[in-house]
Amino acid sequence: MSKLNSNTLAIQIFALTKRFDSLIAVNGIDLGIGKGELFSLLGPNGAGKTTTINMLCCLLKPTSGTVSIMGYDIMKEPFRVKELIGVAPQETTISEHLNSWENLSLIGRVHRIGSKELKQRSEELLETVGLLERAKDRVGKFSGGMKRRLNLIMALVPDPEILFLDEPTLGLDPQSRRAIWDYIAELKGKKTILLTTHYLEEADVLSDRVGIIDEGKIVALGTTDELKKSISETNTMIISAENLSAEAIDGLRTSDRYAEIDNVSGKLKVSGKDLNFREVIDYLYSQDVTIYSAALEQPTLEDVFLKITGKELRE
Amino acid sequence: MRFLELCKRNLKETYRDPLSLGFLLGFPLVFMLLFGLAFSGETTPTYSLGVLDQDQSEISQAFVDEALATAFEITPYDNSSQALEDLKAGDLRAYITIPQGFGEQVYQNWQGESENIALDITYDESDLIVKEQVISMIDAVTRSFARIEVPVTLNTSPIHIESEITYIDFIAPGIIIFGLLILIPTSARMMVRDKEKGVLARLLTTPTRPWEFISSYSLCLFAVGIVQIIIFIVIAYLMGMDIVGNAGLVFLVFALTALCSIGIGMIIASLSKSENQADPLSWLIAMPVAMLSGCWFSIEMMPPWLQSIAHAFPFSHSIEASRGILSRGTGFEAVASDFLFLVIWTVIVFAAGILLFRRKMTI
Repeated sequence: MSKLNSNTLAIQIFALTKRFDSLIAVNGIDLGIGKGELFSLLGPNGAGKTTTINMLCCLLKPTSGTVSIMGYDIMKEPFRVKELIGVAPQETTISEHLNSWENLSLIGRVHRIGSKELKQRSEELLETVGLLERAKDRVGKFSGGMKRRLNLIMALVPDPEILFLDEPTLGLDPQSRRAIWDYIAELKGKKTILLTTHYLEEADVLSDRVGIIDEGKIVALGTTDELKKSISETNTMIISAENLSAEAIDGLRTSDRYAEIDNVSGKLKVSGKDLNFREVIDYLYSQDVTIYSAALEQPTLEDVFLKITGKELRE
Repeated sequence: MRFLELCKRNLKETYRDPLSLGFLLGFPLVFMLLFGLAFSGETTPTYSLGVLDQDQSEISQAFVDEALATAFEITPYDNSSQALEDLKAGDLRAYITIPQGFGEQVYQNWQGESENIALDITYDESDLIVKEQVISMIDAVTRSFARIEVPVTLNTSPIHIESEITYIDFIAPGIIIFGLLILIPTSARMMVRDKEKGVLARLLTTPTRPWEFISSYSLCLFAVGIVQIIIFIVIAYLMGMDIVGNAGLVFLVFALTALCSIGIGMIIASLSKSENQADPLSWLIAMPVAMLSGCWFSIEMMPPWLQSIAHAFPFSHSIEASRGILSRGTGFEAVASDFLFLVIWTVIVFAAGILLFRRKMTI
């Protein structure tokens, strides 16, 4: 936040809270998302991701707190906000008895986009997500993946400045997921995108910054690298080798640079705060160990999540 | 216009779904056909009617033989005590006394001078439904024959009924209004389905205003309602319902009634979260209102306090207005107050619908 001032912020959230009876779904979120940034809200089911998005796109009234989108307060000028945003909801919400053209044109028309522009943009979008050939078929007959893709491009028809994508790849097969990722990656930098997901890889691959949300609070915030670094004070390397003698391992153990040394099924795992890759390799060579492979182990967002929340992030 | 685009979408969703289209158009078709078959043609109940002809003119003879005999089984009487006895014994449903001077009065009417005609009807009031049918039939037959209103009714415009009077004339308006009351659950369902599926939520993230949502659904449903009204009227007509008055006027009454139902449906949809909530709620409203408004029997049979409740709803007014126009040829002035009532209700219901939508659906 400190790096960004309000002129470059597309979304500013202050102390945003939503309470449903006794449940606090969103608990005092403060967040600023810069223009052109792709920000991922990462969290398990029920963490408050969708509730947050619903408040940002004027569907849900916050219990307290304020949100401004491109300078417009969502409570005071919701219709201004609605002109600027495109939303792809988590549930695929399309009109089943309409075809893709008609679904896209409905959203375009309510945003008052001219026919010519609408047609051109729809065609581009359909082409990009590979739906152009089936564009005249009723979407009720579409597969889940196709519906998702249509659901996504419907958010883009009005050419919005800000895009809310709520779990854009939920429940999709890996191929469709990859296609959607590719498309979102293309939009990066052109639009401000707020994406929610509970797929770590999705957040990792796509985002400029990630906010980890748990029980309605943002518990960690930063780029994926920052987050990973923040949890791993130690470096770990994994070595796959032959002739790994007990003496060689013991030799490593004598050095107090390596906090942990494990030898499990032919794989040697060495970790330490000041681990030096080269040094370990050289030492093992000197011990006549044949090395097949050696690599530094990167912490994943999963590790970050586990460390911060104490929970596994699984479906 | 945003709401036209949304309306177009709603119409497409409706007519491309065979099941919902089947319900929307098939329902009034089957409903009205069954109804018409039940109350028209050979199966029209014949009631025995005693006639005490004190006039004994050619015209009174013709009235008995050519008019009353088309609708009733006639038993002639010479004195009222015998007729009364038979009525008490249950051999007669009612008896009618044709007073002296009847022929002259009718003749005057035929000459174009409007004369009042008096007929005395004595009937068994314990049988309410029969009472209503018999009186309405005598009423209609007499007016048809004399080409005038009988004095018991308020309307004074002379009418010409060429066809035979059937019970369907009396009952059809109520049934059509009942058909239009079913637009309450239909409308509630249409909007709440989009709400449940999240389509509405998505559209709520666009700059569409609450009134635009309400108008788009209403316009689509109104189109459905118009088609339904046409089906109702055509079938009722084919089944023998007479359209004595202005068909355009009665169409207007039905159209306003349809709008009113649609508005009530919108309110229910705004208050419900799902189809499972909206459906029972709308039937819970539509059925008692139908009964109270006199869709199946006349509200004049109800205790006065219940009648005042009935008159607070628009639908009893629709029935009275449409019945007046259809079978008595009542003009606009005579039904203006019913019209006004319908218009006021429609405006209130839509205003409430938009307010509720705004409160419940958006921030």
